[in-house]
Amino acid sequence: MNELLGTVDKENIVESSCFLEGKEVTASSFSKANRHYETVARQTFSYIFLNVGKHKSKHNEAHLEIGDKRLSGFLLKANRVLVCLSAKDTNIVDVRAHVQQVQRLMLKAEVDRMLA
Amino acid sequence: MTDYKVLFTGSVCSGKTTAIRSLSDIETVDTDARVSDSAIRRKRKTTIAMDYGVLDLSDDARLHLYGTPGQERFKFMWEVMMSDLVHDAEGLVLLVDNTRNDPFKDIRFYVEEFRDFIVRRRLIIAVTHSDEQAEPDHDYYMQELKAMGLFTTVIFIDARDPSSVLKIVKELVGHREKEIAWSELEERLAVNSSMPQVTEEEHESSSADMSENVTLLDAAMNTRGITGAIHLGADRKVLSSNVSSKQNKELLRSMINLVTALETKASFLGHIDDLVLCGPQQETLSVFVEKEQALGLCSDKELSINVVKQQAMDLLQWSQR
Repeated sequence: MNELLGTVDKENIVESSCFLEGKEVTASSFSKANRHYETVARQTFSYIFLNVGKHKSKHNEAHLEIGDKRLSGFLLKANRVLVCLSAKDTNIVDVRAHVQQVQRLMLKAEVDRMLA
Repeated sequence: MTDYKVLFTGSVCSGKTTAIRSLSDIETVDTDARVSDSAIRRKRKTTIAMDYGVLDLSDDARLHLYGTPGQERFKFMWEVMMSDLVHDAEGLVLLVDNTRNDPFKDIRFYVEEFRDFIVRRRLIIAVTHSDEQAEPDHDYYMQELKAMGLFTTVIFIDARDPSSVLKIVKELVGHREKEIAWSELEERLAVNSSMPQVTEEEHESSSADMSENVTLLDAAMNTRGITGAIHLGADRKVLSSNVSSKQNKELLRSMINLVTALETKASFLGHIDDLVLCGPQQETLSVFVEKEQALGLCSDKELSINVVKQQAMDLLQWSQR
């Protein structure tokens, strides 16, 4: 998991990232200084995607702009969320494109593992 | 001949086009188009590229007047103007509409956007619409700007009245151009006045009509791509809503409740500007929460989040809560 986060963090796009399973953080690259953002992300995205599920909606991406940062949560599969911390002026389209690229890599790694 | 340049900027409806028309000796070059967003609450036409006018100060000096479009979606024009047309301007005049719920939010926004431009030039803050909304007054502006670390000149003007707008010009070039006959200039520009020739009562009722005819929800729906809006008060009770989908309405309300709670618990991280929920086949849901009110918007997934944010900012700034 932590190796994967190494590919998520990218200069000028994603400063820190973590995986959530429900309300639990399963892996994180958030520094001690940014730990408060991780806590806010955990509360925000677990609540948001719980509500999304409750209302049978297909929304799978949320963005919260707080102070000079933006927290983005991407619902990867039921209950698993990838959280990215970026500067507020980072283009959301760039963050989204980067996460989609990472998702493709994750999928490929999973397929390779199954075939090995 | 000495040629000076000045750039006027500020939010939609702050009076940029009117101020330039008041000062110009030539028929101004403007690029007005029918309003196609939330500014419909205040006017029917808006600047989409730039305004330009010229004021002959004396036989030896001339002032070129440039105005930016107000909407953030035309921000590319701000860049074009700053880097090319007005890179050698004397100063920036930031027009601030006193009827906005938080004029200082606009000041912070424009000062940040024009930061590099202001560093090398004079900044003048010109407050407009104070005939409709007298507060905040001059002293309050000075006090708040000082607290923001902005030591600048604040002038209250009526953009429709040339003699009033001339105060900006005096402040900007008066110390360098000693030969200007200000009273003659004022007389000459009097023909540009667009002050209404009506009684005070008629004027008050006509301004009220404009905002009453177009509700906040109507204004929100005037932006192509916005499909629904919900407006809540300080107690988070719904003031008005036209969100037809029950699912979207419930999600928007839960998002507003979440942001309200986070604002209290995580205030040390800064203000929460917005919370946005997207999906590949879904309408985008966005919420904007202030202490006194909250706004939720549904929009097409293709509509840029920045456009939605700008519309929300204007809607909240003009709401009558």
